[in-house]
Amino acid sequence: MQKMKILIVEDAETLRNELQEFLSNYGYEVEAPDDFQNIMQYAMQDDVHLILLDINLPIYDGYYICREIRKNSEVPIIIVTSRDNEMDELMSINLGADDFIAKPYNTQILLARIENVLKRTYAHQQSSILLYKSLKLDLSNGTISYQHQQEELTKNEIKILHCLMKNKGRIVSREEMMEYLWSSDLFIDDNTLSVNVTRLRKKIESIGMINPIETRRGLGYILA
Amino acid sequence: MKLQRYIKERAIFLSMNIFLFVLVAFFLWLINVQAVVMIIVFVCWFGPLLLSYGLEFLKRKNFYDDLLQNLEALDQKYLLPEIIEEPNFLEGQILYDIIKTTDKQMHEHVKKYKDMQAEYRDYIEAWVHEVKTPIASSKLMFENHKNEVTKGIMEELEKIEGYVEQALYYARSSSASKDYMVKEFSLQACISKVLKKNAKAFIHKKIQLQLTEMDDVVYSDEKWIEFILHQIIVNSINYCDNKISLYTRKHEHSLILHIVDDGIGIDEKDIGRVFDKGFTGENGRQYRRSTGMGLYICKLLADKLHLGLTIQSTKGEGTEVQIIFPKSKVVLLES
Repeated sequence: MQKMKILIVEDAETLRNELQEFLSNYGYEVEAPDDFQNIMQYAMQDDVHLILLDINLPIYDGYYICREIRKNSEVPIIIVTSRDNEMDELMSINLGADDFIAKPYNTQILLARIENVLKRTYAHQQSSILLYKSLKLDLSNGTISYQHQQEELTKNEIKILHCLMKNKGRIVSREEMMEYLWSSDLFIDDNTLSVNVTRLRKKIESIGMINPIETRRGLGYILA
Repeated sequence: MKLQRYIKERAIFLSMNIFLFVLVAFFLWLINVQAVVMIIVFVCWFGPLLLSYGLEFLKRKNFYDDLLQNLEALDQKYLLPEIIEEPNFLEGQILYDIIKTTDKQMHEHVKKYKDMQAEYRDYIEAWVHEVKTPIASSKLMFENHKNEVTKGIMEELEKIEGYVEQALYYARSSSASKDYMVKEFSLQACISKVLKKNAKAFIHKKIQLQLTEMDDVVYSDEKWIEFILHQIIVNSINYCDNKISLYTRKHEHSLILHIVDDGIGIDEKDIGRVFDKGFTGENGRQYRRSTGMGLYICKLLADKLHLGLTIQSTKGEGTEVQIIFPKSKVVLLES
């Protein structure tokens, strides 16, 4: 799959660098220019998939940049700012921004928002089918299939499997898993997670696959 | 204004006149003047005197009665100078000028403090926004270099973030200006945001969350509600045993959001004062350091937004906070 490219327009240097590192760690290609005089040139590049835009900037402010971009591009824009009253949010959305996040953001929430916006914009280009060995997870209709057998999953189960598949070969701790679920509006507790994982295993086994989800005691789950 | 008191004040002058008249009458009687002449003298003397007193009394009575009536009718008594009419007699005019001058001075004085407060508020707001950027970058730094130490610092940093937020909303709540924006929004979405913000705490403390599906829309300022909910939920997380539930109940004129925890509860003698400024109560002192500002600010904001905010608790069993969103008839008709 092609890497998504994110442009960070942010004037605080530390934040810019850390954000760049953070997003790179999560598999995005990141560009973070510090030349605000020519910022529009960066924004108008064709291969940018998403722009994270601050409002308080030197030379041009974020609103201006947002408006200018919208004049000839539909690239998704997420406004990231420390000014967080209703007025700023409304203004951003009116100027054509796709989302609005207040600083200091929770990093999980930031990732979830970025993912959402990208999914919304590039859904048709991205395949919604994830594959692990020959287990297929189809996100568009919420089913798993294995050798022509199909089974429907619940919302929780889809997210759990999705999380494991994205991190295949790596141990995902229960806390990490729950944080991921919470960031997608699924507010489950410890017991529910255990129950859901058990159900998910049964469903996978019911379509003929040997249980692929291993429990590592005291560490978490892994799709080995 | 009573006639009696008016006359009383002029009693000396009047009695002097009467005394003089008696003296003159006695003198006239001595030189055998006819009674008719005496009556004419009396009429000529007292007629104009009483008439002028009467007219003057009426004039004053009109002015002062008007003034008192206006004062009575005004909610904000200090607005009286704005509606006072200029009287057409001397003392009245002097009083009028004095009131106008002091009023003007008072306005300038009040304006000075308003400006000072606005300036201070602007500074706090700017400062809070300023400080959020370093907090955001520190959080990212920790995220990029995770280990046991940074995990601890991260938690502390989140506390700082909470206090910074409190300062911002305190500045907003206490200012005279109306800088909130009422619009329609989904309560569920707002609650989701707050829950996500506190996800780590919920997961870490293994708290069971019971969240009923809600389809309610409310009319208020979303950011402010988010802040209020955050304060209440953070309290619940701190004090609960292992369960927090959120649900709404529809009533004829209101929608009530219930936030219930199964924690240590609040002592009966403390519960009336939880919304007071700086009140920490036994729980605050025993369990963790508390500034006593959170709920106080919530109450201020709720009052400004015309929301109800109540708290009930049974010691040892739990606490329930209710946020009451009023529904106007218009809103009811629409929905």
